Amino acid sequence: MSDSNVAVGTSRYGLEVGAPGIRSVGPITFGPSGILFVADNVSAAIFAIDTGDSGAAGEVRAIDVEKVDTRLAAYLGCAREDIFIRDMAVHPYSQNVYLSLMRGTGDSATPVIAKIDGDGSVSALDLNNVSFSRTSIPDAPAEDDSRLDGHVVFGNREGEEIKMRDGSSIRIAREPIRTVTVTDMSYVDGTLLVAGASNEEFASTLRRIPFPFNGATESNSLEIFHVSHGKYETASPIRTFIPYAGNTSVLASYTCTPVVHFSLEDIKAGTQLKGRTVAELGSRSTPLDILSYKKDGEEFLLVANSSHPLMKIAASDVDRQESLTQPNEPLGVPRENLPQQGVSKMANLNGSYVLMMQVDSADNVDLHSYSTSML
Amino acid sequence: MPAEEIDRHIRIVPSDLLAAGLRPLPSTAGSFFLEEDALWFTPRFPFRDGLDYSVLIDELGGTSTTLSIQRPAAAGAPVTSVVAVYPSSAVVPLNLLRIYVQFSSPMSEGRAERSLQMLRADTRKPLPGVFLRMVHELWDSGRRRLTVLLDPGRIKRGLVPNAEDGYPLSEGVPVVFRVDERFEDSSGRTLTSSFERAYDIGPPLRSKVSPDQWRLDPPNPGSQGPLSVYFDRPMDRGLLAHCLRVETASGERVLGDIAVGDGELSWSFRPHSAWRPGGHRIVVDTKLEDVAGNSIRRVFDRDLDDPDNDPIEARTVSLPFTV
Repeated sequence: MSDSNVAVGTSRYGLEVGAPGIRSVGPITFGPSGILFVADNVSAAIFAIDTGDSGAAGEVRAIDVEKVDTRLAAYLGCAREDIFIRDMAVHPYSQNVYLSLMRGTGDSATPVIAKIDGDGSVSALDLNNVSFSRTSIPDAPAEDDSRLDGHVVFGNREGEEIKMRDGSSIRIAREPIRTVTVTDMSYVDGTLLVAGASNEEFASTLRRIPFPFNGATESNSLEIFHVSHGKYETASPIRTFIPYAGNTSVLASYTCTPVVHFSLEDIKAGTQLKGRTVAELGSRSTPLDILSYKKDGEEFLLVANSSHPLMKIAASDVDRQESLTQPNEPLGVPRENLPQQGVSKMANLNGSYVLMMQVDSADNVDLHSYSTSML
Repeated sequence: MPAEEIDRHIRIVPSDLLAAGLRPLPSTAGSFFLEEDALWFTPRFPFRDGLDYSVLIDELGGTSTTLSIQRPAAAGAPVTSVVAVYPSSAVVPLNLLRIYVQFSSPMSEGRAERSLQMLRADTRKPLPGVFLRMVHELWDSGRRRLTVLLDPGRIKRGLVPNAEDGYPLSEGVPVVFRVDERFEDSSGRTLTSSFERAYDIGPPLRSKVSPDQWRLDPPNPGSQGPLSVYFDRPMDRGLLAHCLRVETASGERVLGDIAVGDGELSWSFRPHSAWRPGGHRIVVDTKLEDVAGNSIRRVFDRDLDDPDNDPIEARTVSLPFTV
């Protein structure tokens, strides 16, 4: 049997058993040997976790689960409104579906990595006892930030005690004010690519973190600019991206609207590069997720949007697309609107399905599988 | 019956979910145990305040009994308020990119979109589509400062949303930025009150931030008086906190405290020890932005045909001054 059926060797990837101290869960993506990367934007860290899911995929099967948010709420003992689903990923070997979600908000918010089996049954990873490793999201504040950003705290939990001249004392906490919020991740050939947005400067930084984690992330980032209509060059945080074409290319969508292509070869070489704008998705709609799949040996990309229909683009058209230089219709690559409604997240399933998370008109969250031959 | 068999016959679920019509509804994760004459259930995730839970019991005859338990809602008067909003100036440019909201205590995530509005000052009607929708909100580590972006797709020249919908703001049309009091803090309580900041909208800012347009006011030797810098435009409050530092001419760091002036139009520095006479410099990180997202390095939406928009490569620029 292949590697996939053996539990992940902890030392091979630098994982250790313990309690990682995850405080929140956001974007997730699978890495080598079924290891799950989880971005924790509250801790400003990324965790690599052994899900312990060594099940073989067995026969190819579709997954259709209605009202997954109701099922999650029942399992987690809360209301539907307390469930905030952040991301979805499919285990590369077992084909089980994993969801990162927050249960509740504020002080009582609990991070959950839920697993949905094909029959709809729900379970959750025990995040207090797991094989894991950790890396910080690199954006170290300048050395004098803490001096400037201290604030007074009450109680004894946080901060350090400072004695005042009059003999009284106060407590000062120096949490970083500047943060990076991870918006998407993808693992390619030993490197975790991390897209994020700063809460201060408006930058298009894509971070590259080698895995196994070795602490070397500081300077391994690059800025990706794009040009609108041949006239204006700007930066923008990346909202969602997908490597495709055998991990030689990336399609990314920005927080402003353009969809941009760049080559992973260029990434290896540079610290600054220009992405080629291949499409603009129009106003009043936010791209939510991008996926690539194969149909009859040809590769296609799907872009899910907050307001526009699900969009299908042929990878070959992306490669052929000239950089957009004129502001006219149609804007960029030819695209086909697919009928699936309310799609927020997508993942490849069993090699021949695309799994979609869809929100219906009553705000129920359903999981449906669509055969790639029908898309 | 042994505890392991109990959960085949007793399930606990949040009451409101029973109406969803899912059969079987997963039962709430946790474990049962018997102690003395009582059956205890320990949930894996804590019971939620203010929620009703149903205990579903399958009896031997096949019928099912439902009991219900209530968890009281959390009490408490609001304590959290908005401490500051930046920009603090009365006039902002047409292409304003970013607003900071500073709270007095940690806040809940996921509530920003429905709690923030930009209203027309005259009609008090909300302007639609002003803010960028972010699934992952931009907070500081302590969850006390929120960064709100105006939709960059509508601000950047040459993009479809700018062409179709125009800028989020309109020159000469005053607005009110409003933080609703129902914005929950991390304990689930509302704010003590709503907060509003009025802005007039002026012309767009479309040039690189240029330190040679700044005015420096050096301190007196032997004093601990402030060094002051006056900008030609309102600067980004967040980046001002750490993008300028003071050194002697030989590169030795001068330690002190920073203050940002009204409208983010000035920055001043008071050293911890008296100024030594002689040459000094202010070292500025070129990623420092103005309120429209232009930095020292580049214009926010650089016009490729305009050589004044050409970016600079340097990571820092130095402004010498003599004490």
